[in-house]
Amino acid sequence: MSETVEFFTLEQLCTVCALEREWLVVRVREGLIAAEGASESEWRFALAAVARARRMRDIEHTYEAAPELAALVADMLEELDALRARVRRQG
Amino acid sequence: MEFKDYYQTLGVPRDAPADAIKKAYRRLARKYHPDVSKEPDAGKRMAEINEANTVLSDPEKRAAYDQFGQPPPGQDFRPPPGWDANREFSAREFSGAQDAGFSDFFSEIFGRGHGMGGAGGGSSDHHARIELDLEDAFTAPLRQIALQAPKVDAKGRVSLETRTLNVKIPRGIREGQVIRLAGQGAALDGGQPGDLLLEVQFRPHPRLRADGRDLHLTLPLAPWEAALGGVVPVGLPDGTIEVRVPAGAQAGKQLRVRGKGLPANPPGDLYIELRVLAAPATTPRAKELYEALAKETGFDARREAP
Repeated sequence: MSETVEFFTLEQLCTVCALEREWLVVRVREGLIAAEGASESEWRFALAAVARARRMRDIEHTYEAAPELAALVADMLEELDALRARVRRQG
Repeated sequence: MEFKDYYQTLGVPRDAPADAIKKAYRRLARKYHPDVSKEPDAGKRMAEINEANTVLSDPEKRAAYDQFGQPPPGQDFRPPPGWDANREFSAREFSGAQDAGFSDFFSEIFGRGHGMGGAGGGSSDHHARIELDLEDAFTAPLRQIALQAPKVDAKGRVSLETRTLNVKIPRGIREGQVIRLAGQGAALDGGQPGDLLLEVQFRPHPRLRADGRDLHLTLPLAPWEAALGGVVPVGLPDGTIEVRVPAGAQAGKQLRVRGKGLPANPPGDLYIELRVLAAPATTPRAKELYEALAKETGFDARREAP
């Protein structure tokens, strides 16, 4: 039976992005990656968290960057994505 | 198999120290970062740079690679038999950042360590990417997909096991969405099998481009269609629609057709960018008509252009 996923659990996001659980937990607790829910087992991640987590992971890895810096770059890239999409829609 | 010159990819000499390799990698990773790069083939270059760095930044892999020397370019490359005897590569190299699009050369030398799965922290869920055609979002077909996963036998040897799954593609599926197949992940230590998570990517389509739920296409028009306006048929995966082009339309103008994007809930919109192609004056009569048009309208494209 197949169905589309509307959000991810912590385990699912780790699987999809090939992340260590601890890496992700720390960044959620620091507020660098957004999750809904109070405890780790209740955390729910939006689909967009996949792109964000991968970007942060790659930036941290490539430049040995601090997680906060990687999050700042991810913030800016997300802003860029949103603006590009707006430009495309307006033609 | 084509030999990959990783030193050339990173633009460093073969005796470059580790910190020079790191510096070159970071410089190129910035230049070809797919999110910001203006270079035409940034994504492809980034994959090559990542591959080169994965090998050259790791002393173990670099030493193995250096054994091959520098084969002449353009020749088919085969590693000499027995070159990798007693050599083991640690599995950690394959989780993490570089899981995208490595070459056959890399796989031959260092193995295909990344099929599905990943560093899921003990999770029994598995992940893979599937490529679909845009049309699949409309037709919701049953797709057969082959997945390769590493399997460890009783003696601890790792081999690749292929299994085939039938997946019902949900209608209105979008790029980046994830299809969950309950119970199709791995069973760890005889426990309950986890889920298989399939991340959807679309193959490039010759005419259409998906952006979330919206579809984009370029519609070529003859000069008279643009000038006079009219109704033009536009083929979409689920049939042809008729699009009204307003009179006096210019190239680059964008039309929006509500609800004609991907059939999600709610459906996306279709964005049509107009393109005007100059009709060639192939006959004397066509030339005459163009000349008459030029005289009649006095149109100066250079003056009109913004």
